[in-house]
Amino acid sequence: MAIGTLPVTGARARLPWRARVREILDRERVLGPLFIAPAMILILLLVAYPFCIALYFSVSNAFIGRPSHFIGLTNFVRLWDADAFRQTFQNAFVFTGVSVAFKLVLGISLALLLNQQLWFKRLIRGAVLLPWVIPTALSTLGWWWMFNSLYSVVNWTGIALGILSPPGPNWLGQSYYAMAAVITVNIWRGLPFFAITILAGLVAIPKDLYEAAQSDGAGPWARFWYVTLPMLKPVLAVVVLFSTIFTFSDFNIVYVLTHGGPINSTHLFATYSRMIGLESGRIGEGAAVSLYLFPLLMFVVWAQLRFVRKQAY
Amino acid sequence: MIPLSRRQFVIGGTTGLAGILATRTAPAVGQAREISYLCWNNFAPNSDKKLAEIGQRFTKDTGIKLKIDHISHMGPQQAKYASEVQTQAGHDLIEMRMHFPWLYEPQLVDVSDVVSELEKKYGKAISSSYEGAYVNGVWRAVPQYHGMFVATYREDLFKKHSLKVPDTWDDLYTVGKELKKIGNPVGIPISQNYDSISTAGPVLWSFGGMEVDKDGKTVRINSKEATRAVEWYQKMYRDCMEPEVLSWSDASNNESIQQGKAGWIHNPVSAYIVAKQRKLVTADGINHHRSLGGPAGRFETDTPRHIGIWKFSKNIEPSKEWIRYLLGKKETYDEYIMSGDAFNLPAYAKLQDHPVLRTDPKYAALKGEGVEYHTYGWPAPPSDKVQLITNAYLLPNMMAKAVTGTPTKDALAWAETEMKKILAG
Repeated sequence: MAIGTLPVTGARARLPWRARVREILDRERVLGPLFIAPAMILILLLVAYPFCIALYFSVSNAFIGRPSHFIGLTNFVRLWDADAFRQTFQNAFVFTGVSVAFKLVLGISLALLLNQQLWFKRLIRGAVLLPWVIPTALSTLGWWWMFNSLYSVVNWTGIALGILSPPGPNWLGQSYYAMAAVITVNIWRGLPFFAITILAGLVAIPKDLYEAAQSDGAGPWARFWYVTLPMLKPVLAVVVLFSTIFTFSDFNIVYVLTHGGPINSTHLFATYSRMIGLESGRIGEGAAVSLYLFPLLMFVVWAQLRFVRKQAY
Repeated sequence: MIPLSRRQFVIGGTTGLAGILATRTAPAVGQAREISYLCWNNFAPNSDKKLAEIGQRFTKDTGIKLKIDHISHMGPQQAKYASEVQTQAGHDLIEMRMHFPWLYEPQLVDVSDVVSELEKKYGKAISSSYEGAYVNGVWRAVPQYHGMFVATYREDLFKKHSLKVPDTWDDLYTVGKELKKIGNPVGIPISQNYDSISTAGPVLWSFGGMEVDKDGKTVRINSKEATRAVEWYQKMYRDCMEPEVLSWSDASNNESIQQGKAGWIHNPVSAYIVAKQRKLVTADGINHHRSLGGPAGRFETDTPRHIGIWKFSKNIEPSKEWIRYLLGKKETYDEYIMSGDAFNLPAYAKLQDHPVLRTDPKYAALKGEGVEYHTYGWPAPPSDKVQLITNAYLLPNMMAKAVTGTPTKDALAWAETEMKKILAG
């Protein structure tokens, strides 16, 4: 048989090519990277590139629109001389610590409440998500009106009820009140994230564990402490991890509500970085501000992920 | 439509493409000239409407499309300038105020030719425009208009309670105590905004103080004169104002007097203009008087606005054409100024006695006789450093520290250190 001399039709010629492609795609070593490639390209373009640029800026004396030079860690060292930065550093921890603690406690409480048999359960669960769904800048603008010295509905109500004496607290003009205001709005906004995620964790806890505990004589508090909480630990760790990172890097709430004031007393890293880098033009210092906590946050992420992995296996 | 065969389309298209590639020029039909202009939201809202109207006429007359974008007055515009410069992309023209042309000097086109034409027609640009936009002998932005800070007060309340209209900052303290007692306190912002600087500057100058000396290098904020200015702020805050001023934005003092709370504010006439346009009940009772004096004289803040063109713009000539269209024709410039209802005042010498000042007797204080007005940072020569001191809100933060319990000498020392850092950087 003269197989080699047979004329090759178009259809037959395509077949081996398709088969070859199929065979290549069947290899995990090729298919895996191929699937990941689009996401990797996006991450490289939208995350890695800006991050590298920020890294470069932070070790340079970059000033808007002018040539820059490498200056090592000078920006990071010099920042400590500015009391506004030291204040920002302290604010970030106070803001994050207090907000996350409140969100955790209130989130667990709200999740437990939502896990009960309630009338209009779906409607209530949907309504709880509203603060999380509304764009932050928009909802914060609403809070700004509520705290505004001239139009404050909070003060007006407090005065009308006789709880506050006129003119009421100056929410956005005095350091402690201003910090309390930004923390309140952050808790209000972040609470649904905690509540709904914890609720998902609660729903997943097998009922027979509660039945076993109950038959052993465990009361509601003991059931919560020895069944619910240990079973929720991995969920709580992930929620706290995400919230810590988001809260540390919060921008909208402080920017809209206080613009970092009064006297820089509510600045967070993101808002202070914007003020230094964009409003004052010192891009190098601004980048250093935004990257200051990067090593610490990396450690937090590593420690918490390690904890989650231990819990999972 | 002309019927076109496939062959004709291919031949025509290929020839056209070859032509474009050979000449590296887009076909004239496709070259729709379009420029974009970034402005601030004007405090006199009708001025923005008029600008849009003039822009449409410009497009009709020249064939150049004009896209006008507005941005909030404080904070966002600084970030916008920075991001446009950093990315070398964005608008062709930008509205700038104060010393921003100094800060962005390397990025701005030399527009001396346009200013020279305007000066021939209207006389020299006013001194504050020179301070703000004439950078090292080159015009980096074209003077557009300026706005003066005056005293805006509730004349009706003053008459009702037989209060004396103040002439000095110390007089204001005397009358301010009475105003606070009747529930209409003085409203001077002491927060991170421009209005705070616009008042703190003249108060400091009137008491003989300054931030930086004439040499532009020596920080002079920690002085006896500045101490007196800080002490004045402390007693004003304690006896004549409410703590709300620490949280105010640029618009808050306007709103306070419009809504019937503040009895006296230091501001351009925009508070009155808006009250009048919105037919607020307070509008009739509001009037203005000239700014206040102190032991060292009577000074005022002027806020010149200019139009700059970014160097990265690919439409420099059409952009200049728009500036000439808006400011170069007397009737158009007049129309624009009139729409601002005396908030936008002409920036050229021969136009100073403008008809807009006669549209309302309450604009009499804007004539500014006997007032020495300056831009931020005076008497230091204009520079990018002055703008950086402004952008860091050092003056209002120093005052805010002092009125909220920081000892005066510590507040002054803090400001001195921060200013030195900026000058050294």
